[in-house]
Amino acid sequence: MSVSALSRARPVIRRGQASRFPPTVVASFAVLALVLLWSLVPTLFTGQDPARGVPADKFLGPSTAHWFGTDHLGRDLFARVVHGTASSVTSALVAVGIGVLVGGLIGLIAGFVGGWVDAVLARLVDVLLAIPSFLLAVVVVSSLGFETINAAIATGVSAVGVFARVMRSEVLKTRRAVFVEASYLQGGSRWHILVRHVLPNASRSVLMLAVLQFGLSILIIAGLAFLGYGDPPPASDWGLLISIGKDYPLAQWLVYAPALVTIATVLSVNRISRWLRKTD
Amino acid sequence: MNRDYARYALRRVLQAIVVILLAYVFTFVVISVLPGDPVTNTLRNPQNGFTEEEIARIVSYYGLDRPVYEQLWDSLSRLLVGDLGISLRSGLPVGRLIGDVLGSTLLLAGSALVVALVLAFAIGFGTRYLPKRYGQGLLRAFPSLFLSVPNFVIGLVLINVFAFQLGLFRVIDSEGGLATFFAAIALGIPVSAQVAEVLIANLDHEAGQEYASVARSRGLGQTGLFLRHLLKPSALPVVTVVALTVGELLGGAVITEQIFGRTGIGSLVERSVTTQDLPVLQAVVTLAAVIFVVVNLVADLAYPLLDPRVRLGGAKPRDKAEVAR
Repeated sequence: MSVSALSRARPVIRRGQASRFPPTVVASFAVLALVLLWSLVPTLFTGQDPARGVPADKFLGPSTAHWFGTDHLGRDLFARVVHGTASSVTSALVAVGIGVLVGGLIGLIAGFVGGWVDAVLARLVDVLLAIPSFLLAVVVVSSLGFETINAAIATGVSAVGVFARVMRSEVLKTRRAVFVEASYLQGGSRWHILVRHVLPNASRSVLMLAVLQFGLSILIIAGLAFLGYGDPPPASDWGLLISIGKDYPLAQWLVYAPALVTIATVLSVNRISRWLRKTD
Repeated sequence: MNRDYARYALRRVLQAIVVILLAYVFTFVVISVLPGDPVTNTLRNPQNGFTEEEIARIVSYYGLDRPVYEQLWDSLSRLLVGDLGISLRSGLPVGRLIGDVLGSTLLLAGSALVVALVLAFAIGFGTRYLPKRYGQGLLRAFPSLFLSVPNFVIGLVLINVFAFQLGLFRVIDSEGGLATFFAAIALGIPVSAQVAEVLIANLDHEAGQEYASVARSRGLGQTGLFLRHLLKPSALPVVTVVALTVGELLGGAVITEQIFGRTGIGSLVERSVTTQDLPVLQAVVTLAAVIFVVVNLVADLAYPLLDPRVRLGGAKPRDKAEVAR
């Protein structure tokens, strides 16, 4: 008991802090780099056409010739996953971009102007946060039409509330800081303070949230694609691949291969976001 | 104190009502102002088989020939007397459509919440009980793993293993007890991750407090320490987190119900989305907002009553966003 247990009670220095880059973080960056390359130069990784199948080769299990096996039309699943990366990743980026820009702007105005503007915007943000984000995304995408880019916009809209709230609280924190007061006294204009002090200070929190939201957006967009609210086949978004694969329970790899790629990507994003928060 | 609390409670209740009304308006705006006219598209679709007479009746019921703000005003005043409108797809009152399936979804969401809590507390207990080198690190990685898996993948794996291979339940008999249990697991796992994260952080914090060291020095084992001292202060903030995950349970039901072939609010949403059934979507979104707002209101108002530290300190209950992050 005693000594060893007591040492456990003290605030422990985390192992990760010894080296700046823990091995899991390095691995996460490696995974993301690979995913990025897949989306930029898919042809470098697979020579096969994701849309053309060889009917004789349908439902082949994973092998050296077909890493992820083949689907019901004899198309190479690895090629389909790799070529679907660009759409899956870009749409998540678009979603985060919308969240950061719109949400950030709302939070910035609310926090910086204050008064009744803040009160009105606060209710709007409350509404955005009160509607379950996936439900909100579904309703928005149904209104815009079933396409992947619309799914990305819908996911972005559902993230606006979170970004607005974080941005507002960061702005309020900075506004009360002594150095901002000093800047006012030295004759700094509101605009100067906004650009020079408030934005740079808020950017770190917003960046961390953006990384976290990027992983979440991949999941939400995959969910929308799974329900068929994205581009129809022959597009090969990860969620869509899983959705098609589930209809062939005897060909397990059709679900597991794209699912594992999705999980590995989101896991890496979450690991990096956690690491960013720790090193703060 | 009591007076302050009453004033605080009143303000929160009023805010909640405003948010709910705004959610109704917001959905209306999203669906009817954004490009595309779902209502007439649906009505004119020959597949739906509306006669000219019915179209005229529905169009005049919704006042679709009038300006948008008048339609919105109508829709709002109908909401205030409890009329949610008529489904464009089936022609049935929306209130009845929702009433028929609400029970199934509440059962699913409730079971999922129980699964999530059991799982989260098991993980939390494990992180205090397991030795640091063996297993604890793995257990601590669980929440972030759970958060990285799409919930439809969890559902598909569960169906594959327990229905197709082990034959424990049949997907066709989707309302059976075991089928509900596995659907609840699929829906509950991502939620358990959020609860577990907060719980683990609180347990770590409480375990580092002096009173915990004192208890240990008196010879209290890990289990006794956990149950008698750490559990209560660590579990209180969980109330707030659980309230925040309500939205996730309702949103996740759309996918979970589709995979497990259940009828419920989620499958109603799915059908209404493909047919652009505006009144149903508007009602469901508002209902989700009502549930979310009411649950969070109750959690926030109950917090000072549950936690004497907040009450005596006179501090305001924690801000939602602070706990969530």
